[in-house]
Amino acid sequence: MSNANLRKWVGFCFIAIYIFVGIPLWYKLTTVYRAPLPVKYIESLQKNKFQDIHLVIPVYVRSDTYRFPDIHDAIQVQVNHLLNSQEQQIPWSLQVLPYNESMQQANSEDNQFHVVTLVLDDFIGYSSAYDTKETIVYYDDAAVLSNDLPFFVAQTLVEHTFQLEWTHLNKTHESATTNNNVAISYDPNIHLSITLLSGDGNPVAWEIEPTLTDYFSPFRKLLSPLVNLTVDSSIVYHNDLNLHSLNGSYSNVTWFDLSHTIDLSELSSMTYYPEDSALNLAVVFPSASSTPDGLAFINGTRISDGLSALDWNSYLVPQWGVIIINKMPLKPNSVISEDYLEPMMYRFASDIFQLLGLTEGSQDLLSPYITIDSFKRLTTLQNLDKSVETLWSLVKLTQQFQGMSIPHEVSDNVLEALDLRFQIIDLLNDPGKGGDMVWNNALHLSNELVKLCETAFFNGEMVQQNFFPQEHMIAVYLPLLGPISAVMFFGFYNVMKEKDHKNEKNGIEREVTEEKLELKEAQNLHAIDGENEL
Amino acid sequence: MTIIGTLAYCILGTLLLCVAAEDEEPQIGVDDSLWYPYDETLVLKPLPNNDLLVSFSFQLQSEPFNPAISSMSFDAYEHYTTFPRAIPPLLESTGTRQFHLRFTRGFWDALSWGQLPHAGKQAGASGVELWSQVQATDQEQAFLNWKKLANSLSGLFCSSLNFIDESRTTFPRQSYVSDIVSPLFNDTEKLYLMRASLPNEPICTENLTPFIKLLPTRGKSGLTSLLDGHKLFDSLWNSISLDIATVCPEDEGSLCHYEMEAHVEMVAHVPSALARNERPIPKPLDGNTLRCDTEKPFDSYQCFPLPEPSEAHFKLSQLFARPINNGNLFANRPTRICADVDGSTWTAFLSVNDTIFSTHDNCFDLSNDQNESDIGYDFILESTDTTRVTPIVPVPIHVSRSLTGNGQDRGGMRIVFHNDKDTAVKLIYFESLPWFMRVYLSSLQITSTISPQLQENDVILDKYYLQAADRLRPAHLELTMLIPANADIVMTYQFDKALLQFAEYPPDANHGFEIDAAVITVLSLESSSALYELRTSTLLLSLSTPDFSMPYNVIILTSTIMGLIFGMLYNLMVKRMVTVEEADKITFQSGLKYKLLKLKEKFLKNKKTKTD
Repeated sequence: MSNANLRKWVGFCFIAIYIFVGIPLWYKLTTVYRAPLPVKYIESLQKNKFQDIHLVIPVYVRSDTYRFPDIHDAIQVQVNHLLNSQEQQIPWSLQVLPYNESMQQANSEDNQFHVVTLVLDDFIGYSSAYDTKETIVYYDDAAVLSNDLPFFVAQTLVEHTFQLEWTHLNKTHESATTNNNVAISYDPNIHLSITLLSGDGNPVAWEIEPTLTDYFSPFRKLLSPLVNLTVDSSIVYHNDLNLHSLNGSYSNVTWFDLSHTIDLSELSSMTYYPEDSALNLAVVFPSASSTPDGLAFINGTRISDGLSALDWNSYLVPQWGVIIINKMPLKPNSVISEDYLEPMMYRFASDIFQLLGLTEGSQDLLSPYITIDSFKRLTTLQNLDKSVETLWSLVKLTQQFQGMSIPHEVSDNVLEALDLRFQIIDLLNDPGKGGDMVWNNALHLSNELVKLCETAFFNGEMVQQNFFPQEHMIAVYLPLLGPISAVMFFGFYNVMKEKDHKNEKNGIEREVTEEKLELKEAQNLHAIDGENEL
Repeated sequence: MTIIGTLAYCILGTLLLCVAAEDEEPQIGVDDSLWYPYDETLVLKPLPNNDLLVSFSFQLQSEPFNPAISSMSFDAYEHYTTFPRAIPPLLESTGTRQFHLRFTRGFWDALSWGQLPHAGKQAGASGVELWSQVQATDQEQAFLNWKKLANSLSGLFCSSLNFIDESRTTFPRQSYVSDIVSPLFNDTEKLYLMRASLPNEPICTENLTPFIKLLPTRGKSGLTSLLDGHKLFDSLWNSISLDIATVCPEDEGSLCHYEMEAHVEMVAHVPSALARNERPIPKPLDGNTLRCDTEKPFDSYQCFPLPEPSEAHFKLSQLFARPINNGNLFANRPTRICADVDGSTWTAFLSVNDTIFSTHDNCFDLSNDQNESDIGYDFILESTDTTRVTPIVPVPIHVSRSLTGNGQDRGGMRIVFHNDKDTAVKLIYFESLPWFMRVYLSSLQITSTISPQLQENDVILDKYYLQAADRLRPAHLELTMLIPANADIVMTYQFDKALLQFAEYPPDANHGFEIDAAVITVLSLESSSALYELRTSTLLLSLSTPDFSMPYNVIILTSTIMGLIFGMLYNLMVKRMVTVEEADKITFQSGLKYKLLKLKEKFLKNKKTKTD
């Protein structure tokens, strides 16, 4: 056949167009836009989150009585030695520097530095100031003579002033980044909702405005570098959090029974806060109709030794807030005085530290300024960790769903977040003089970083599942591509097979011709049996 | 260490929360003059045909606040006493100065029942309706705030308000004017009035429950203890309304407060409601309990029913399946229940602990004392002739609206204004039409029953029309009209029905598309102030709906045809061409007969060799 080769070429061209033009074109037209993400870098960050961090905290040493020209160097050696004795999860160090006159000018109320003041006294000891970031170390002449002072200062600094860093940043600590069960996850804006609940519908009032202004405003100001609290108070009637069902026969109600009975749903729903997280304080008075003699299981609270027991118990609800249950119901038209609310506010304020994660357990906050300062650094680190986790989740998500589109904004946000991360790390690694401003700035940037990472992760186009699944695509295109591909490939196969077929045919033809020749020969020889006989 | 620790503890105590070691016990005092701004009233008004209008109204006021102080300020605290805590943060975050929410279902029979309660200002169109005044820098910002407000209210009231988008939102010009002037907290910004409605929203218990929770009595005491979804929604017409407004009185300086007005209204057919108590599951009555007209043919098989009895005696607890549990306890004004009845045939009683009281004006104040016996209050209405009711106030105008035309590509609207008064009626006609109704305003025609010479300009004093934009905004028609005395005015216009995109059809698209009710505000002829508001019923527009499996069918069919054509062309190009003889030969050689012949030949050949 003269056109066999031509036909093969045609078939081949079809296949070539199918493979080299059709498939890429189809892929191009049906594929979704996936912006490139720095996957490798984020993966390496996730594996070793604090690879490029070395937290440096400057501390200034001041001595009023004696002049020690090289004490800061000596303390530095001791501090390094102490810090090196422990394996650190996130590397950190103290930079001990001498205190000079220029520091005094820079050290304002808004921008305080860590200062260690050496005071000559009759005994050796230390104390942390309540309202500044100052640590006072007391020493006597004997300590100077035996050269114990540098070690003592180093120990005070590492194990007491920077106790939070010392415990949280070492390797044996569970994780510097995971929250405990009680604390809510950190958020720069937190709403605080204070509710007075009465089991009855009689009017009640409380002197909440003066109580809050007197006792809560300074507290808000104190916490303001860390969290901005917005506060509201309300009175809710006909709601005793389901306490009336507890006042049964048994008098010894445990926290376990309480947690199974108390119904917080009405306080948590039907609210609208612009802030992302909220903490609650519920002051509950039981209903006079169901519990006229008061709740038997409330045995009172003792705030300090000097005071008699108060008629309420306070319970901490993890990640929600505090419930204060009063023993006796309120009389109609009751006005709760500031005196009655004071101890409750005190208890609530110390619980807030726990709910915010500033303290663990029921320990007291001795030097809030230093603790809050440490907390700023820890929160910054925590935010860094959180943001890397978010980015990693984003990467995992995009890897998991290959058909999911990644809009350009996501990649922009990710790159911006990584830039911001570098800025924060620069601040942490080289905090200059280490004043409040630096740590506030680092915290502020890290909050922005978390927000940016979340914006990238929760991009509407990406997570709303409105991507076109691969299976769907196949289902739509198969009715067209299936028959066309089948026709083409089988046709091509046949045309390629034709050669063999022709050879085979030639073979048969040759066989037939041979047979015919044999027959002719035989006829010529008259050799076929029986022919003559017939 | 301990000394220092204690010292720090004390300083902490001083700054944070001073626990002074006082000798006296903390006290809880009693103030007998303690009350909060809250007011609740219930009015029962018998209507003709044994119907009963039940109107609950609640009024609340928030604690005063200073809008100039940010909530982030260390001394800023918000306090709530009776006002719901859920509302103010919502208003603050969306810049909303006032909003009005209406949940309405059923048909208000204006011919027999007369005017709507509160001159129609508390009743919405069928479905859910929301309008609000939002403070914003520009319209775009205002819309974003409005969207946020709608989404939040959607969550709060378990309704579909989140479906409010730009294609449903209008900016009314003359309608929806509030009596309360909203304050502007920032002079560089403006107030925007926005309105949207969802006509096909079913109103149910899930909307009522959050509504009750907003009120301080929470359904536990006072009038809210009567509110029960099963009874409220089992009525001929019901409406729940909520109005929140920001008010800054001049005499209070820079202080403002929020005011909340809530109404729950229903019209129940009393004999049916009472029968529902006896027979919760409807089943046929026994023959002997049927009320038959014995003057007409009457036997075991025939019964001409008598009209409903004109005597009545029923209790409120029978209608609502529960008594009133006390009055509200924390307001200076006690809970008030009134019966708006014709004194000659009707009597109203308040029942307290089996003792029955009556008053001259049929209004009762529920005392704030705790009701010891826990039976609660009950209200009894008795009548010797239920057909006599307080005079019905006729509505200023009757408006009915209907769709005309057939076919699925175009239609028409016909609105009839019926004024049976001797004076002309001035009104504003507001209509918001979805974008898929493409209105031809040029086809707007006015005809009248009284004078054929009546011109469009005689009736329509002012016309505002904003054309719809596909998927972006609805058509907005606002007409100021003057309807002559004793006349029927018919307004008609034509529209095209647009085709929707495949994904835009709602579930059950063949049901049709609900069209918003038109809002008619009747104005005073002299002062142009709003006298009465009414809404027409909603309309059901049927659009051409596709067969929803069509796209896939089309894909398969077209693909098959394309596959066939391609297959033929491809085969033509690639397959070998042979002549008929060659083809026959090949067929002959590949057939079964040829193979058999070959086999026979072979066999014969073998035989020959053997004999040889």
